Amino acid sequence: MKKFQFLILLCSFTALASAQNDFLLYSFKGNVSVVENKVESKAKVGRALNSAATIKVAPGSAVTLICNEAAMFTLTKAGTYALNKFGDSCRVSSSSVSANYVKYVWASMTKTGGSAGSNRKAYMNTVGAVSRSINNIWIDPRLDTLNYTGSNTDFPLSWKSYSDAKNFEFSLFSADNIGSPIHTTTVNKLKLPIADFSNKMKPGNSYFWTASVKGEENDELKILNFVSKETFEAVLNTIKTQGASFEAPAEQAYRIAFMLEDAHYLAEAYQYYSKAATLDPANALYRSTLMSFKKDYEIK
Amino acid sequence: MKKPLHKHIGHHAKRVHGHLTKYLYERDTIFATLWVFLFIVILGSIPLNLGVINPIKLGLKDFDSNDISYAKLGKAANTPIDKRIVIVNIGQADREGLSMMIDKAASMKPKVMALDVLFYGPRDPYQDSLLTETFRRNKNLIAARKLVPTGKDGDTITFAGNYINTATAYAHVNFFNDEASTIRYFEPFIEDYAEKSYKSFSAAIIEAYDQKAFEKLEKKGHHKVLINYTRHVSQYQVIEYQDLLAGIVDDSALAGKIVLFGYINNDPNDINDKKFTPMNERFAGKSFPDMNGIVVHANIISMALDYNYVKKLPLWANLLIAVLVCWLHMSFFVRYYLESHIWFHLVAKIAQVASAIFFVWLGIYLFDKYRLKVDLKMSLLVIVMAVDVIYFYEAWAVWMHKKFNYRTVFKPHHH
Repeated sequence: MKKFQFLILLCSFTALASAQNDFLLYSFKGNVSVVENKVESKAKVGRALNSAATIKVAPGSAVTLICNEAAMFTLTKAGTYALNKFGDSCRVSSSSVSANYVKYVWASMTKTGGSAGSNRKAYMNTVGAVSRSINNIWIDPRLDTLNYTGSNTDFPLSWKSYSDAKNFEFSLFSADNIGSPIHTTTVNKLKLPIADFSNKMKPGNSYFWTASVKGEENDELKILNFVSKETFEAVLNTIKTQGASFEAPAEQAYRIAFMLEDAHYLAEAYQYYSKAATLDPANALYRSTLMSFKKDYEIK
Repeated sequence: MKKPLHKHIGHHAKRVHGHLTKYLYERDTIFATLWVFLFIVILGSIPLNLGVINPIKLGLKDFDSNDISYAKLGKAANTPIDKRIVIVNIGQADREGLSMMIDKAASMKPKVMALDVLFYGPRDPYQDSLLTETFRRNKNLIAARKLVPTGKDGDTITFAGNYINTATAYAHVNFFNDEASTIRYFEPFIEDYAEKSYKSFSAAIIEAYDQKAFEKLEKKGHHKVLINYTRHVSQYQVIEYQDLLAGIVDDSALAGKIVLFGYINNDPNDINDKKFTPMNERFAGKSFPDMNGIVVHANIISMALDYNYVKKLPLWANLLIAVLVCWLHMSFFVRYYLESHIWFHLVAKIAQVASAIFFVWLGIYLFDKYRLKVDLKMSLLVIVMAVDVIYFYEAWAVWMHKKFNYRTVFKPHHH
């Protein structure tokens, strides 16, 4: 009988020890990788992991996991985490609705709700009023410095408006005189193609531009460099030579686009992103990047 | 010698029992109980909306005591993630983006895809063309449309929001509900004047995914079905469309599943396509809508796939409970009214509060444990009214006693 009892106890312990938690990679951002069966691979949303797996989180990255389909937790600190150490995070509270009801009724009956006068911390958190010191126009910081060669006439300068204004004033200034614009025009859209005023600029010169709600002023000036074709060719050639020897045409176009965007040649980058998507239409990354680019810069 | 504890408890239980039942079978108790219901009928028959300036009535118009269980008692907090459903957050993607994400998802072999987006007219021809082709290509895609009842009786059905018209299946996404009210019910099927039936969005998805679950839903007929909310948005796998397009989603995440494309946002200030649900953190008074429409659909689908419907107690049963509750309370109140009148109001108020707490718990317990929805509003109402009705009844009984020698336990000016 004692042997039988010992056997039952042993079986129970074995079952308890082998009880594994299952994890689901719910979401992540940044660089996160998974090591499973000694094989490291990039993390993928929706991937099921067992407790023998390890998660590697790079600095600035985060990953959210769900344990046993119920307990959600997030890892935000960089490091390597073995999932079998997260047994605690897999536990979910088991208090019943009835028990919580008793607690809730008791807490409601015994605690005062407080009033605005007695609890400043809790009540002094309303917005209060609108802010009026800010500009009604927001220009994407990515348009802060734009290098333009005149090759793509579709590329627009765009902005966002916080007001319901219908008309906007666009002003172009020369670099040596920001007191009076060399060109102003009124538009009813939140963008203006560079082609509409490119004849006011000369290659090799720098200009400032701004947009404001008609009748208002906007002191925020953005730089527009009208780069000569020769200068651009030099930049482009440098970028082209930096590619790998076995680069496919679509890959090259995508890389050039990325580097041109980084160098603030946005209109030209758009041409190369389009080229990459056309050369390899099945590549979702090329298509989605082009789509995001068009969306970011209001290109139709 | 000191009494043992069980005898002590037994003694008090006997006393309370005596308080409750001493007048239980008295004719006056039974008649006073009937008077309570008579009052409710009379007050309810007044053809004026007396609640129009009553802030409590207005505030509690959309209140259901079961909502407390989601907001304060942690109901549904531990419901496991529904692995059969994946929601793709379409964010602010345009028609080209939608086309791309549908095609990408389709390549991962989901069983059903459903797009919760309405298209009211032409936009960019290139994008429209892409989406039209995507709709045509993916035979397992259910597209959304808005059902618009027209005609004098609203039984002529027209549709809107289905400008892109090449999908294999369409189903209506709108709920027949006041925009500012909590969505508690949905109608799986709508019939027009010619008795032609139209499936709702959720019903169409259930049919495409699980025929048995659909047959069960079909048996409910053209009636409103109470939604059993079991999951918040975080209890579904939500995938951002950018992640899907960037290829960082595991193929197994979508394979063989229901993929719902809809707008999700967790910003409380963004109420685009957000609805009020019983899961709202504020269960009464002013609040923000709390759940995106696609998550409401997901909850309906989860309920149907799990056969997790809420059973509603019929009206007659709710009424019977109210009668029994009123009868017991009346017996208790009459006892204090006659024998300890000085304590009557205090005891009555305490009893009302205690009963309210008990019956709210009972409703929550039955709903949580047995998915049984018992409408205890009437029971709570009769407890509140019983105290006032006693005074009316006493006056009537004494008058009847004087005029017709009506036998009553109430005596003239006994207090």
